[in-house]
Amino acid sequence: MSELIQLPDCREQSAAVKARFDSIKQRPVKLQVRELSKSFTTNKGQVDVLKSVSFDVHRREFISVIGPSGCGKSTLIRMLAGLEVPTGGQFLLDGESVSGPSAERGMVFQGYTLFPWLSVKKNVMFGLEVNGRSGTTVEQEAMQWIDLVGLTKFAEAYPSQLSGGMKQRVAIARALANQPKILFMDEPFGALDAQTRGQMQAYLLQIWRNVDVTIMFVTHDLDEAIYLSDRILVLKANPGEIQEFIEVPVPRPRSPEQFITPEFLAIKQRLEELIHPQKDMVLDKLPIVRMTSADDNVE
Amino acid sequence: MSNSKTVKAPRQAWFAIRKELDGTRRLLLTVCSFCLPLLLWALVSYTPFIWHPDIKLQLSADREGVTTVYTAGDHLSKEYFPTFVAAVQADNAAVLATREAGETSGSASRIRRANLKNIRQITPIAISNGWLTRDEAKEDAALYLTWKGVAEGNLQATNPALTAENVKIATRNWELMRVLSPVYSTKLMPSIPLERMVPQGVPANPVYLPAPHEVVLKGYRDFTAEPEGNRRSMFQRYKHSLRIVFLGFIFSCLIGIPIGVMCGTFDFFSRLFEPFIDFFRYMPAPAFSTLLVAVFLAHDAPKIALVFVGTFFQMVLVISNTTRQLDASLLEAAQTLGASKMTLIRRVILPGITPSLYNDLRILLGWSWTWLVIAELIGVKSGLTEFMDTQGRFRNFDSVFPVIILIGVTGFVTDQVLASLRIYFFPWTPESADKKRGPIGGFVAWLLDRDVYVDSINGKASS
Repeated sequence: MSELIQLPDCREQSAAVKARFDSIKQRPVKLQVRELSKSFTTNKGQVDVLKSVSFDVHRREFISVIGPSGCGKSTLIRMLAGLEVPTGGQFLLDGESVSGPSAERGMVFQGYTLFPWLSVKKNVMFGLEVNGRSGTTVEQEAMQWIDLVGLTKFAEAYPSQLSGGMKQRVAIARALANQPKILFMDEPFGALDAQTRGQMQAYLLQIWRNVDVTIMFVTHDLDEAIYLSDRILVLKANPGEIQEFIEVPVPRPRSPEQFITPEFLAIKQRLEELIHPQKDMVLDKLPIVRMTSADDNVE
Repeated sequence: MSNSKTVKAPRQAWFAIRKELDGTRRLLLTVCSFCLPLLLWALVSYTPFIWHPDIKLQLSADREGVTTVYTAGDHLSKEYFPTFVAAVQADNAAVLATREAGETSGSASRIRRANLKNIRQITPIAISNGWLTRDEAKEDAALYLTWKGVAEGNLQATNPALTAENVKIATRNWELMRVLSPVYSTKLMPSIPLERMVPQGVPANPVYLPAPHEVVLKGYRDFTAEPEGNRRSMFQRYKHSLRIVFLGFIFSCLIGIPIGVMCGTFDFFSRLFEPFIDFFRYMPAPAFSTLLVAVFLAHDAPKIALVFVGTFFQMVLVISNTTRQLDASLLEAAQTLGASKMTLIRRVILPGITPSLYNDLRILLGWSWTWLVIAELIGVKSGLTEFMDTQGRFRNFDSVFPVIILIGVTGFVTDQVLASLRIYFFPWTPESADKKRGPIGGFVAWLLDRDVYVDSINGKASS
C-alpha cells in the first residue's frame, strides 16, 4: 500500500482555519450537553444507547454527528429536540435547562414530514400560527422563507406535487420560520439521490451563512459531514459514547472542489479509521462461496 | 434524413402478471363483469333445454273429488304434469262414455254447478288473448260467448294457442250449450256433464327464478302503480328505507367518530373503551331486535337503533385504527414547531386522518345497508322489506327481484359517487393531483374510472 498518497495529519490546521476556530470558541455557548444518557431495559438486561455524553456547541456553529449504525446518533438528536426523554443527565440551551419539544429547537426529519393537506405556504405558516401569530404579516414572513429556499413559484402547491429535494427545502423553511435557536437535522438528505443531495448541501450552507441559526446535523455520509461542518462529533456504538470531537481543517467558504484537497482526504481517512476500525479483519471470516483461481486476476 | 423507423408498440397481453390493462380493455371487462351474470340468467331463462324443471300452467282444470286445485300460472313438476293431463283426459272419456250410454249420474243441479265451473275454465285464455278484460271475465255471460267464439272459429287463440284437442272439446261442449241457449242463462245450463279442457302449459324454471323480462316488466309495473287505499307507493317505501339506513348511520357517526378519534389519539380511551367494544361487536345486532322493540316500541326507532348497533361498534374500532395509522412523525414535526396537545388534535390529527376516515365511512355505510332488511323486519314491518316479505310469501318472486336489485344499485351508486367526490374533497392526496374535472366530467369519470382506488404517483414536478 506504499503507493498511496501521503496525507497530512488531520489535526494540522492552516493559520486561517486556526484563527476561525479561535473566534468560534470566543462565541457564547449555545447548547451545553451534560452527562446525557439513554438506556432501556430488555429481557437480556440493560442496554445503553447513549452513555454520559457531554459536549458544548457554540453559537452559529455547524456540528455534524456521525458514527456506526446503532451508535445512538438519532437518539441523541431526538432527545435534544425533546422527542425522547433522557434517562440521565441534562442539556442547557442558552444556559437554561429545557425539556420537551418546543419551537425554539427546530427539527428537520429524513422523511420530510410535511403536512400533506396544507400548501407549501400553509406548511411554512404552521409554526408561526400555532405559536399564536396571525394576520398578513405571517403570510409575508412565510413567503420570505419560501423565497429563501427558492420555491416562490410553488407556494400554492401541495407537498405531493413536489420532488424529494423540494419537499426537504420546504421542511427547512418551515423549521427556520420559527427562528429557532438551534436546528436539528436527522439525516435530512438520506433519502435523496446523489445529485439532489449535492444541491441541497450547497443550499444548506448558503442558508446557514445568511440566517442566524446553529445547526446540529446527523448523517452517515462522511463527505457530507466534512463538507458542511465546523466540527464533527464521532460516536461509537455499544455503548454509545463520544469517540472524538474533531475540528474540520477544511477552510471556508466550502465548495465541492475541496472534496479532493489533502486536508479533506486526511480527515476523511481519520473518520474512516474511527468508524470502521476492524474493516480488514472481517473479510477473513466471511464465507467465500465461489472462488476464482489465482491466475484469473481481473486487476 | 432520419433512418429511424416507427417502432410499433408490441401488443399488450390480456394475461400479464401484475400488469394493468389499458383503459379500453379495463372498461370492456368492467362491462362484461356485469353482462356475464345477466347473460347467464338470460341463458337459463330463455333456453328450455338447459334447465326448466317445471311446467307453468296456461290452462288448468278442476277434477271431481280432488281437493288440490291448480290455477293458470301455477308451476307443476315436469314429472307430474303428464299424470295430471292423463287424469283429466280420463275424466273426459268417462263423461263421453256416460253420455253415449245416455245415463245421468247425480242430481241435475249439481251437474249444472259443475258445468258452470267448466265454462269458467276458459277465463285465463280469454284474458291473455285479450278477448276479455279482467273485469269482463268475471261475467259468466261473457265467458259463455267466448266458448261460442272458440267453437265457431271466430276467436282464434294465439297467446297462448289452444291445442286442437281443446278446440274440439270446446266445439263438442258448445254443441250441447247452443241447443239450450245461444246466450248465458242460469236456468238453461246443460244438465249432462260437459267435458273439461285438458291442462296446457309451457316448460318453465322454478318460480324463484323468473326470467329477466318478467322481472323488468313486473318491476316497472310495481314502481309505477298507484297505491291502493292507504298503502304506500314504492317511492314512499324507498324513501322510508333510505331514511332508516341514513339515520342509523348518521347517529352512529355522531357518536362513533369522536370516540374512535379519541381512542386512536389517547391510549387512555383506547384501553377504557376498546376491549368492551371489541367484545360487544361479536354479538350480532339482530340478536337485540326484540330488546330494541321493547325499548323503542314498534315503529322506526328500533329499526334505526338496529342499524346503529350493527354499525357503531365496528365504526369505533375502524376509526381508532385509522387514527393510529396517521404518520407519527407528522405529530413529532408539529411538536418541534411548537404545537400544543389541543393543536395537535385539531390541526394535525383531524385533517390528517380525514381522507382515510372518508374511505372508512364509505365502507361502513355499505355495512349499514346490510342491516336494512333485518331492521325493517322487526316491530312493524315497513319500507321495501315489507313489500319484499309480502310478495315473497305469495311467491311473487318477480316482484321481489326488482327490490333486491334496487337496494344493491342504491348502495353501489352511493359508494361510487362518494368515491368520485373524494378528489374534490381532498385535492391534496397524490391520487387526485392530476384529476381536475368539472362536476359533469367527474360524473362521467366515475362511470369509467376505477383509478380512485389505486395509489398513483403522478403529478410530480421536478426540482
